[in-house]
Amino acid sequence: MKTVNHDPNNHITDQELLDRFYADGKKEWLGILLSRYTLLLFGVCMKYLKQEEEAKDCVQQIFVKIIIELPKYRVTYFKSWIYTIARNHCLMKLRDQHGRKVELSENMLADWDDASGKNRHLEKDRLLELMGESLEELGEEQKRCILLFYLEKRSYQEIVDVTGYTLMQVKSYIQNGKRNLKLLIERKTSKT
Amino acid sequence: MNDDLLNILSNSNKDIDNQLLMDYLSGKLSAEKSHEVEKMMADNDLFNDAMEGLQQIRNKKDIQTYVEQLNRDLQKNLTKKRQRREKRKLKEGPWGYVAAIVIIMLCIAAYYVVKKVLAAHGYPHS
Repeated sequence: MKTVNHDPNNHITDQELLDRFYADGKKEWLGILLSRYTLLLFGVCMKYLKQEEEAKDCVQQIFVKIIIELPKYRVTYFKSWIYTIARNHCLMKLRDQHGRKVELSENMLADWDDASGKNRHLEKDRLLELMGESLEELGEEQKRCILLFYLEKRSYQEIVDVTGYTLMQVKSYIQNGKRNLKLLIERKTSKT
Repeated sequence: MNDDLLNILSNSNKDIDNQLLMDYLSGKLSAEKSHEVEKMMADNDLFNDAMEGLQQIRNKKDIQTYVEQLNRDLQKNLTKKRQRREKRKLKEGPWGYVAAIVIIMLCIAAYYVVKKVLAAHGYPHS
């Protein structure tokens, strides 16, 4: 069963749509581009707000915000930018609703700073060597999940079956393991 | 050490395949394809948060309805703004120019009338 309508503009990449919008200012390009992200934005809003109707309203508000903000400056990393806008909007909504203290980092884009960029200057062999050393320093669970996921290209479910960990544990070991690996490599490279 | 491990440091910047994501949510994908989606999730926070949020929805068919509604509203919003702008242009555009031309012509006419009246009364004194 086909669940998502086929996009007739599939041949145009996100970047091209963005470039076209900046070139002629036509909102049609924006319409095509944003509708590609509706599902993801709805998912992000659901993650934070938990209520379907509320998440829908939130997506609409995010769309309006994007339509207003996008022409003001040239956005290069659209995916990161749209995520920042969506996440900040959800966190602000949560804060308004529950008076919950949510920390909003002013420099959230740093989260998406291309970690590989920092290591770009390193030669591949050296990077692989550092990776091997850092892997050994990870906890057993994280190391096992990382190897199964990245080296053996196993799906989460397969890793669950092999290791006996829960799905949540597998996801968390991979995410945290990945973050720890980056930190370890950064630490090692800053020393040299 | 296997080169694939270097992928741990990469950030996914793939364009979105919504159908692939929906199939993943419905559990229709093979282990290999599931890994492909999960790799995107591990490499990109937007994908990860979105999939975690979408997994909370029990009836996956609702997702499609919501997305369609949101897309319809988005298109309406964009067209409404465009129509409003065009209407305003049409309303303001020609009348503004016509008014400016009429005012200039009136000024010129007034200048000549005043000049003629003054000349008839002997101004300026020669």
